[in-house]
Amino acid sequence: MTDLAQATDLRIENYLRRLDASLRGMQPAEKQDILCEIRAHMVDSVAAAPEHEMSIDRVLRLLGTPEELAQRYNTERMLTRASRSFSPWLLLQTTWRWAKLGMKGTLAFFLALVGYGTALAFTGVVLLKPFRSANVGMWWGHDNFIIGAPAHPEGMHELLGQSFVPVMVVFAFALAVGTTQALRWLIRNRTLPMSP
Amino acid sequence: MYPPNGNNGDRGQHWEAQLRKGCLEMAILASLWQSKLYGLELLRALSEESQLNIAEGTLYPILSRLKAEGLLESEWVEAEAGHPRKYYWLTVAGRRRASEMAGAWNQFAGNLSALVQPILRNRS
Repeated sequence: MTDLAQATDLRIENYLRRLDASLRGMQPAEKQDILCEIRAHMVDSVAAAPEHEMSIDRVLRLLGTPEELAQRYNTERMLTRASRSFSPWLLLQTTWRWAKLGMKGTLAFFLALVGYGTALAFTGVVLLKPFRSANVGMWWGHDNFIIGAPAHPEGMHELLGQSFVPVMVVFAFALAVGTTQALRWLIRNRTLPMSP
Repeated sequence: MYPPNGNNGDRGQHWEAQLRKGCLEMAILASLWQSKLYGLELLRALSEESQLNIAEGTLYPILSRLKAEGLLESEWVEAEAGHPRKYYWLTVAGRRRASEMAGAWNQFAGNLSALVQPILRNRS
């Protein structure tokens, strides 16, 4: 084996070692499959090019750094899981990753934040209601609409009374389900591949 | 209206790049319509037949996702090169998706084609 071929092999092995370290949360078999495929690609690409030294540089450049490549695999994998999932936590994590790749992902992440955040806040006021029943409610007055406990309830009217808890539970549930469905739809119908 | 050679040059290229990226999934499925291909063959097919020059680092994660979504299937095949290669082909769901995408694309392109004809005539 020539020095050039040895140097090429060394760079391929080094790349695969870093890729291996960066592919997280995958089954060993899945990871091995990716590493074998990338190795085969590099070997084939180098063999197809007449100028070996430049060839491996080019191949590595087109693949991106091992960390970037691993991030694309991880993101694609997460998006696939999220498109089938009903877990708000997974959908939040996924849209956060997606947000790093473009505007549509950023919008999806904000939708997730606002939707789940509001549902959580509604749940919070429902839980608070038994302890502060006089203060917590849906209030209207002083040209303000407040769900929760206003600082100055004087002159404001509580709109729901005893119906507050069931109505807010329905709102919170509908908001969480609506946000989940909207995010799943956005992820499933993304028009661009997630990778740059 | 943008000037013909003004700052919109970059914007125009960006738009074209986005369009190409948007078509990528369809192009991959279409490339696999007639035969099984491995990654490097697929890259060459995309480049030669549709001028879609995509980076390797983009293609492989997408192939992995399409397989996870059940649109592709794969198999390692021993090659003369001395190492196995991973060949991909369309599943039944993949063929259905490719067919739907091709139909939608054809209709979309046909509709837009009539719209851009005056521009093309003017350019020529």
